[in-house]
Amino acid sequence: MAKRTPSINTNNLTAVQIMEIDACTRCGECVDWCPTYDAKDKSPGLAPRDKIKRWKSFMDRSYGLRAKLFGPKPVNDDEMQEFSDDLYHCTTCGVCGTVCEVGINTVELWESIRANLVKRGNGPYGKQNMFPKLIKEYRNPYMKDQKDRLLWIPDDIKIAEKADVLYFAGCTAGFNQQVLGVCTARVMNKLNVPFMLLGEEEWCCCSALIRTGQPHIDDVPKVSAIHNVEAIEASGVKTVMFACAGCYRVATIDWPRLIGRKPRFKIVHIADILADHIKHGKIKWEKSLNNQIITYHDPCHLGRHCGVYETPRIVLENLPGARFVEMDRIRAEQRCCGAGGGVKAGIPDLAVGISSTRINDAQAVNADIMSSTCPFCRRNLGDGRDNVYGVTGTDFDLRDNPENEMQVEDMIVLVAELMGLSTKIKSQMEEE
Amino acid sequence: MDYYSGISFGAMIMIAFIAIAVFLYGMFLNIKKWSLGSTGYGLEPSNGSIGVFLKTLLAAIKEESPKKGHKQSLITTLVLDILLQRRILRRNPLRWFMHITIFVGWMALFIFSLIMFLFEVIELIGIELPLALHPEVLRDTMAVPNDVFSYILLVGIIIAIVRRLFISDVRENTIAYDSVFLAGLTIITVSGFVSDWIRIGLFVDYGIPEVASPPAAFFHVIISLLFCIAYIPYSKYMHMIAAPLVLLANKGGE
Ligand code: HEM
Ligand code: SF4
Ligand code: SF4
Ligand code: SF4
Repeated sequence: MAKRTPSINTNNLTAVQIMEIDACTRCGECVDWCPTYDAKDKSPGLAPRDKIKRWKSFMDRSYGLRAKLFGPKPVNDDEMQEFSDDLYHCTTCGVCGTVCEVGINTVELWESIRANLVKRGNGPYGKQNMFPKLIKEYRNPYMKDQKDRLLWIPDDIKIAEKADVLYFAGCTAGFNQQVLGVCTARVMNKLNVPFMLLGEEEWCCCSALIRTGQPHIDDVPKVSAIHNVEAIEASGVKTVMFACAGCYRVATIDWPRLIGRKPRFKIVHIADILADHIKHGKIKWEKSLNNQIITYHDPCHLGRHCGVYETPRIVLENLPGARFVEMDRIRAEQRCCGAGGGVKAGIPDLAVGISSTRINDAQAVNADIMSSTCPFCRRNLGDGRDNVYGVTGTDFDLRDNPENEMQVEDMIVLVAELMGLSTKIKSQMEEE
Repeated sequence: MDYYSGISFGAMIMIAFIAIAVFLYGMFLNIKKWSLGSTGYGLEPSNGSIGVFLKTLLAAIKEESPKKGHKQSLITTLVLDILLQRRILRRNPLRWFMHITIFVGWMALFIFSLIMFLFEVIELIGIELPLALHPEVLRDTMAVPNDVFSYILLVGIIIAIVRRLFISDVRENTIAYDSVFLAGLTIITVSGFVSDWIRIGLFVDYGIPEVASPPAAFFHVIISLLFCIAYIPYSKYMHMIAAPLVLLANKGGE
């Protein structure tokens, strides 16, 4: 009898990750915390424990004792496809890893298995397969011309030719949610912190490719990482500042892996800079939140993945007239907003389902404002808010909240507003 | 050697060696399987040679975590995460109590048995031992600690069984992987108690004389060897090796 070949291979898994699969004790703690499992009516296949069990079974059928003695047992295509689809429902939020009783690094495990599945032809999911081609061709996921990277900057904003700080704006603040870019820049200007931009030399951080298991396709993330790191180092700055949790995560964790060394600059989040200014009493506020209740949603990519919990809280607690309250499930145990891991693009309904639950958390503490520090949380929590309240998107506005609906806004927009700065983007200014 | 010699001590040694061989083969298979992975994120799979796993593990243990404030010394991981299992405690104190009793009981009995075995062998090959270390004396010395830790183990096992039988959520999610492991552990623990009770004559009234003790003890020892050593790499037992290694590699976990 001809020996069958194993149905799965170990592409993209590290030796330690393959061991992690064998370490799971099936305690089930992760199941109780998983936001996707919760939002999908506790569909059994979505539970992290179940995903580990199935991959272990695939590994055992291919490489276990019985496979050694009698040849590998096949994994049929339907079973594999179902597994893949389930795995692509995960937002890579990582709370399963935080609570895992044996400390499995789940996010990395899911991403590695995803890459394995992409290579087999089972992944990614839905529209996600467009990412590599788009980002490779345009160097951003929004199909914009690289030449237009600085188009968002209105005349009132000063960009330094040379400075100690470089603001890595990211595609989303630069093209898609420009209010974040203009607010960040105006706040920095007002605080007299000169900063540079990479402009055309800023390429997408490729977060979406890495999170969806497509980093190997033409090595786009690696090429981008090398390009970005070298461009930043060539600029001579000491510090790179991010206002996007997705980019910050990539720079902190993925860049060193992709380029094989530590970059020669410091990575900070805008919240770090603001908190520092607040501590030294260097921010002059012009307006007040008038006693509104504000709460903070930790972005997975900033909090759990990178360990930044404190500085955004320092900022929000110190907003004038703010009554800061904490919701259920915060910091390391935060409940994901549902946008990450390619879910917003791949399975938008699921993303809104999860964010609606998060909105309920904020409702439970009577929050007037739910703030975050990530453009993707902002968009998706906004959609969740619209879903829960049955309204359609209103941007944050201090003066105008007639329905008394909860407002969802990024920390930097609140800061700009309360410092008395304009939050208008260029196109809005031109209209006037 | 009377204690075992319902059937000879030699037979037991042989089974011990078989158990160890089966264990080693299983570990070899596992490490070989782990070694099919790459040595780092995003790298090509390795050549599959057996050293890859060890190399990758050591590199992971040494690597600094990129996460802010996520630093932990090896000794902290070893004591707090592996020995005291604080990650279980953080999640659920009852489950922690269940596990720590199983862990402490099992480890202690395992170590006691190893010591006993060692001295039996030393005596067997004719090396003169001080009186206190003679196997018969040693067995008496260890009788009380043996008893104590057996009861500790039993407490944990009972909690685990009750949990798996009566909490519907746990019951529904129990698969053979879980139940075989727990059942095996239960059989060993109970057979240990039974053989001991026979030895001290507790069952004489029920028509089981003390002379039945050696075969009962033999049964206990054999299945212990097979189940507690040989079966490790092929079952949920594996977590007692893999879990500490994961904790070391991930600096105590997120
Ligand atoms: C050395 C480090 C070890 C670690 C970190 C560890 C970790 C764990 C964890 C996290 C669980 C899941 C507990 C839960 O359901 O909440 C578990 C289950 C279990 N462990 Fe360990 N373990 C270790 C060693 C051992 C040892 C030496 C034994 C001895 C036999 C053992 C026996 C068990 C049993 C029987 C269960 C299953 C309980 C059940 O069925 O509900 N463990 N272990
Ligand atoms: S990373 Fe988050 S969404 Fe994904 S399996 Fe874990 S808990 Fe669920
Ligand atoms: S928390 Fe960790 S050990 Fe427990 S079932 Fe989930 S992955 Fe397995
Ligand atoms: S992750 Fe950052 S760089 Fe990448 S698309 Fe998003 S905002 Fe742009």
